[in-house]
Amino acid sequence: MQTAETEIRIKGLCVTFPDKDGGEDIHALTDVNLDIKQGEFISLLGPSGCGKTTLLRSIADLQRPTSGIISVKGRSPHEIRLSQKYGIVFQSPVLYDWRTVRRNICMPMEVIGLPKKERTRRVDAMLELVGLTKFGKKYPHQLSGGMQQRVGIARALALDPEILLMDEPFSALDEFTKEKLHMDLLDIWKKTNKTILFVTHNIQESVFLSDRIVVLSPHPGRVSAVVDADIPRPRNLDCKGTAEFSALVNKVRNSFEGV
Amino acid sequence: MTRANKEKLTDIMVILVWVAGLIILWEIGATIIAQTKRTPANVLPHLSQIIESVFSDKMVSNKQTAWQIVISNAGITLWRAGLGFLIGVLTGFLLALFMRYFKAVEKTAFPYLMMIQMIPILGMAPIVLAITKDINKSRIMIAAILTFYPVATNTLAGLKSVEKEKLDLMHSLAASNWHIYTKLLLPSCVPYLFTGLKIAAPMAITASILVDTLQGSGGLGTMLSQSLKHAISIYVFWQIVFVSAFIGILSYKLMSVIEKLYSPHEKAKAAKS
Amino acid sequence: MKNISMDREKISTILYPLMFGVFVIAMWQSEALHFLMGADTFTLPLPTRIFTILTENLPKVLLNTKATLMVAVGGLVLGSLLGYLLAIIASTFPKWGMGGLSVVSAFNAVPIIAIAPILNNLTKDFSRDPNIRSMLAKTLVVMITCTVSMSVNAYRGFTELKPFSEDLMHSLAANKWTIFTKLKVPNSVPYIFTALRVSVPASIISAMVSEYFAEYIIGVGRMIRENIVLAQYATAWAYIAAAFVIGITMYVLLLIFEGICMKGRRA
Repeated sequence: MQTAETEIRIKGLCVTFPDKDGGEDIHALTDVNLDIKQGEFISLLGPSGCGKTTLLRSIADLQRPTSGIISVKGRSPHEIRLSQKYGIVFQSPVLYDWRTVRRNICMPMEVIGLPKKERTRRVDAMLELVGLTKFGKKYPHQLSGGMQQRVGIARALALDPEILLMDEPFSALDEFTKEKLHMDLLDIWKKTNKTILFVTHNIQESVFLSDRIVVLSPHPGRVSAVVDADIPRPRNLDCKGTAEFSALVNKVRNSFEGV
Repeated sequence: MTRANKEKLTDIMVILVWVAGLIILWEIGATIIAQTKRTPANVLPHLSQIIESVFSDKMVSNKQTAWQIVISNAGITLWRAGLGFLIGVLTGFLLALFMRYFKAVEKTAFPYLMMIQMIPILGMAPIVLAITKDINKSRIMIAAILTFYPVATNTLAGLKSVEKEKLDLMHSLAASNWHIYTKLLLPSCVPYLFTGLKIAAPMAITASILVDTLQGSGGLGTMLSQSLKHAISIYVFWQIVFVSAFIGILSYKLMSVIEKLYSPHEKAKAAKS
Repeated sequence: MKNISMDREKISTILYPLMFGVFVIAMWQSEALHFLMGADTFTLPLPTRIFTILTENLPKVLLNTKATLMVAVGGLVLGSLLGYLLAIIASTFPKWGMGGLSVVSAFNAVPIIAIAPILNNLTKDFSRDPNIRSMLAKTLVVMITCTVSMSVNAYRGFTELKPFSEDLMHSLAANKWTIFTKLKVPNSVPYIFTALRVSVPASIISAMVSEYFAEYIIGVGRMIRENIVLAQYATAWAYIAAAFVIGITMYVLLLIFEGICMKGRRA
């Protein structure tokens, strides 16, 4: 990766939730420090309850931190959200079942009020990018799970955001579809040069995709290691069989604490 | 496609057989009653007799045949039921929106919304008439109240069932409240709204007919009670039974048709299966 | 600090509706409500007056309440049992059952007003006592209403099973009876309550409406109407209050019953 400036800086981030039954507060995240560079592909890896989604939501300004500072491009996540620089992909595709694929991708552009011509042009470009050109007029339920998730990615990229936040986007897909989408995602990343934060609980997935892997451990949620995944790019599915890949997977696995 | 059609055809066949069965049952009953009762038409006439009365041009009152009476009065009833229905839909929908938007309104109104459901509103029809002193107003009011709560509760349920992720997506786009409502909340609650409408439409008609019976100023209910008192031909009563049943079912079907027209994705779903 | 705000949340949930209720009753008692609705204290008597009439006529009100309750509960129980039975039969012969149920569900849209007089006529010879034959006619009306909603919902309870749960039973070589008692009946419990939530209020409404057409003059619904004809509005209101109490009590009992039966299941 080219040496780029710091895109996201997280300092001393803590998020606690009050326990609903009146017990002790739940420490979802404690003292997280992290710098992310522009154009980097970062995985947030950990078991459930480690706070990886909370970290993502805090960066996205969907969750208010209890303490600590997050700055994105030197500004607050709130300002970045208001300027629509985030694109989000969820675990389920979260498509509007009353809208066609085209109109689903269109939705964010309607929200910011782009003119119709521009919308049409961008939707065409997005459909091409995710390889769904023929499916624009279909409704979500007429597509397979993998295709639905592609629509979700297209929608997230529609506003040309600078940061793409992905919350376990492929965890509900079968292995074959997942591998195909991994390749496509790397391709899209290369073409668009976005900063990607990718939440996952799959070690292989994180090693295959990322530049760096942020390993989180639960109870309390914390960063237990940051591992460089320095497998040369461009990567293809063959690299999963290499000794280098296995060694990295083991290294990541051993860096968990208290699971 | 052809297989789906075939299945649809057998479904229709099954329903036709059932309807035929019911007709046979009715006719058996009518035959027994014709032999045992002095005035069988009051208890259970043959279906053929009822159909005959529809086409009969015998004047039963005021230069009107039985069928003309039924149709003209059905118009009166439907018009009032429809107006009350529209008012109920509008207020119910607006209340649900307010409840979603203002937490305090939701907290205040929710227990009462539940309570209306438990209270026999139809039983209150006479007192509404006594207060408003106007049969038309009370028809509309009762129909509106009965429409109001299924629409309000179902719409509210729809507004609240929107997935958190969809709201997150809207927030991540810094969407305004206007956009959150028009692009997300309102379209999501459409199926729920129609569930409410399908419950409410036959209820509004029942209400309107019932209110008719309270005062002799026209409407299906008025004719129904007059016919039962033998002021006019008893066949008017039997015709009203079938017409009101038909209108009730039709009002339900009408809501389903509007729903399908409004939601093309549902149509696509139906075509697939 | 957080705990205090949570408590405040709970308090307002109770306080807001309570305040609203008190406000409406105060408006009513102070005749502000009459001013708004253009009513007078004759047709819309003050709450204190209604309460006085209610206590003065308590034995009569109770007698009529009992009559309405017997019809409503009797029809509810019989209709729900019949509906459940029909659903069992329909799920045993799904091809014919489905069609039958869609015909039955069409009855849902038929106004009660059309059914009540028919049954009134049909039951004329049942007994010499007009009270008993009216009771039968009214109970049958309520029964029809409740049968419809129970049969449609219970059928869904028998057929909408969790994925693979029937396969699991087959893999254990369970016979039809075992599948029915161990899987289908428990699965139908939430659906039974869905049906009851509709049919409990509906049973009271049907009971009251069928009283209008009944030969024998008894029941809360009929009394509301009779007293209005006699221009005794305060008495009519006392019966409306009784109808409120019946409606709310039966619904609350249902909710308690549901809470007991559904314990441990996810709502």
